[in-house]
Amino acid sequence: MRKTLLAGMLLAACPLAAHAQAETYKVDPIHSFPHFGVDHFGVSTIWGRFDKMNGTFTIDRAGKKAAVELTIETASVTTGDNDKGSRPRSRDEHLRQADFFNTAEFPRMTYKSTNVKFNGDAPSEIEGQLTLLGVTKPVNIKLDRWVCREHPMNKRAMCGGDGSGSFKRTDFGMKFGVPAIGDEVRLKINFEGYKE
Amino acid sequence: MQELLENPVIQSSAAPFLAGLVVAATLFPVRLAGLAPAAGFLAAVWLIGAFGFTPMTATRKIVVLSLAAPVLGVLADLAFKPTRATPPVLGVLFGAASIWVIWSVLVQRPVQEAALLAAGVFAFVLAVVALTVSLHDQAVRAGSAGLFLGLGTGAGAVIGASALLGQYGLALGAACGSFLLLAMILGKRVFAGATFTLAASVAAALIAAGAMVLARLPWTSLVAIALIPLAVRLPLPEKSPAWIQAIVASLYALAPAAGACALAWQSARTV
Repeated sequence: MRKTLLAGMLLAACPLAAHAQAETYKVDPIHSFPHFGVDHFGVSTIWGRFDKMNGTFTIDRAGKKAAVELTIETASVTTGDNDKGSRPRSRDEHLRQADFFNTAEFPRMTYKSTNVKFNGDAPSEIEGQLTLLGVTKPVNIKLDRWVCREHPMNKRAMCGGDGSGSFKRTDFGMKFGVPAIGDEVRLKINFEGYKE
Repeated sequence: MQELLENPVIQSSAAPFLAGLVVAATLFPVRLAGLAPAAGFLAAVWLIGAFGFTPMTATRKIVVLSLAAPVLGVLADLAFKPTRATPPVLGVLFGAASIWVIWSVLVQRPVQEAALLAAGVFAFVLAVVALTVSLHDQAVRAGSAGLFLGLGTGAGAVIGASALLGQYGLALGAACGSFLLLAMILGKRVFAGATFTLAASVAAALIAAGAMVLARLPWTSLVAIALIPLAVRLPLPEKSPAWIQAIVASLYALAPAAGACALAWQSARTV
């Protein structure tokens, strides 16, 4: 009877032990931004970013497992052209309309990981699904940097890094201006998160 | 050639005009010249590469309804014959359909704001469709109304920050222009019917409503656009040739269309 009880307790404790390995981090929205770059008339790359991104990431170093969920407010897009001056609209206003991010109809885009590859005990590449304009397609993000440490000021445990990737906007139905305004979107994300 | 077809000006003017003209010139003997706006609109959507139905966005719903309208128009002309009740009934039908178009936006707004927006769009689409369809037996007036419904909506949408909806509107105007050109040359031999009036009014009204909801076309521009099918009812020199009547009717229609663009421009500069 004692042996059975002990075995039962051990069995019940196993998933808890495994779960205890996983750490959850909440994205720090004031130090985490997705940037995007698009070719402009074959001359230069115009860079922009979204000012509002939230989400969480979970990492289990021992089990080499991780997961990411990000939500980006599409209306927070900015490319540095907010003041329309004497023009009927600024570029950022145009980006919010139906030709591009259609923020009235799709106020959010999301990214959810499906698999995370590890290099040693650090995540190196995220395979995931980007949902933009109601279309969900796979987009991979390579982690160019991954650091976990104690925040030097508030002493809280934090992880963060830089990621990069690319996708074709026409895959998501954003066809306006192609090819004059490039189809390929270069993605660079800087992110930091505090341990929950 | 490919580069030419990718030119937005070709996509929204020359190509829809030619497509509309070919269809109108070919089908006017069987009283189906009214398919010109549908042909031009279809050509523009095809060239812009905007065919696709998943996910069913508001813009795609506009395309679907704009292509369904002429089918219903043909049925109304050939099977039922439009009566006095036809314009308001079709107005209510497409007014209700406009709520479906903007539904994904409505559900994200506070209830009161959504109700006001839905009521406004419903009333606008109802008015434009009913007033235009009631011109079904007056090809010159209907053609002039269609021309400036398209051009006014298209130019307004461009100013209101949606180039895609602007292209659709301008393409519709160009295609209606091809119908009007044929009516100017052939006079009463060209029949508008519910086919033309429904195709032109449904597409124009939904594009304008879309430009207001999805972009920044002000509601005051929509009021001006709704005046276009009323303006073409002003007196015409009935004894003059069709081409003179068409010019006069077009001048009548130009005024509210230009007003809609001016209001959009003013709004863009101040908001």
